[in-house]
Amino acid sequence: MLGASKTAFEIAVADYLDDLYRYAYWLCRDRWLAEDLAQETVLRAWRGWSRLREARAVKGWLFTILYREFVRSAARKRMESEPAEALRSEPYDHADPALAIDLDRALRGLGEDSRHAILLQVLGGFSCAEIAAVLGSSEGAVMTRLTRARQALRRSLEPGETDREANEA
Amino acid sequence: MNCLEFRRIALADPRRLEAEAAGHAERCAGCKDFLVRSLEAEARLASALRVPVPRGLRARLLDRSAFPRRPLRRLALAAGLVIAVAITLVIGWPRNDPLALAGIDFVMFEEAQAIADAKPTDAAVLARVAHHMGVSLPEQLGEVRYVGTCPFAGTTAYHVLVKSPLGKVTLLLVPERPLASRAVASAHGLEAAIVPAVAGSVAIIGGSGRSISRVETLLKSS
Repeated sequence: MLGASKTAFEIAVADYLDDLYRYAYWLCRDRWLAEDLAQETVLRAWRGWSRLREARAVKGWLFTILYREFVRSAARKRMESEPAEALRSEPYDHADPALAIDLDRALRGLGEDSRHAILLQVLGGFSCAEIAAVLGSSEGAVMTRLTRARQALRRSLEPGETDREANEA
Repeated sequence: MNCLEFRRIALADPRRLEAEAAGHAERCAGCKDFLVRSLEAEARLASALRVPVPRGLRARLLDRSAFPRRPLRRLALAAGLVIAVAITLVIGWPRNDPLALAGIDFVMFEEAQAIADAKPTDAAVLARVAHHMGVSLPEQLGEVRYVGTCPFAGTTAYHVLVKSPLGKVTLLLVPERPLASRAVASAHGLEAAIVPAVAGSVAIIGGSGRSISRVETLLKSS
């Protein structure tokens, strides 16, 4: 049983907030929307805190809430998963703006499920089985999506490297 | 494990290889090199995804998430005001009916998922259900965009999305949920009315009272 106080809640979620925001950021490509999404996630998490039983489930629980909240808000506001050009990536947020633009373009080139899967794994550190639980999918399907996503990202971001591998194969 | 299997596994999750895959990489120079390059690519990807977090984000997220810490006096004044307004509302304002409110919550939080999950229902089935319930679904309602079933209020509802001249309206036909009298709710910028039918009840959720009244009138037009 987890502590019921707000302090216990803050301690349990604090370590995940940065990556939660980053996950939201790459879904929305807008820092304000991302912060709103993270805010709504934390609010919902607090409301459901008394029902959570295991500390080790906190991270997966937070990312699941954010994923669902994103899906809901996309439907509610008719906000497409790939928003208008004006809302797309904010390269000035990034240490390497050119890379941010390329990465944004590469991520947009992935299917919706593949994008969620790769972001959850790289930012959240989740296993294929955990991602399958978040996305409501099978572990095998997640593995396939991740494999394809990495291949596509490497083709987009490191074309020379993939050419070399193709020649070696 | 062969090289192809290894590379599939390494591309799915290069940082979490099981013993068999790790053993293969030890024995196969090509796959070991592939793994090294995969891990390097993974590190570059992770680094690129780690955008800077806005200053003060943690504090903002946590402070707003539960109990804002404000001076007690201001809190007491606010509490007094809230109580006064609440008394006024309780006395003079129509109450939100729980079932109608559940209709609004469904539209706000579950409708998109329900549509994504459900298998759309045949329009002919909907027509039969409506007939059984004594409800009319005339063409004047608007363009029916979706018909499906979903769980609602402990039973199954027929979920209909209508693009009406006054905006999007959601109908939930609940044949197994009889109702004594009409009830309403208002929340999240949406209005809802739940009305009794010959058999069961119908929840109507829309953006304005006007759009709901229009639909309600048409539903009773048979």
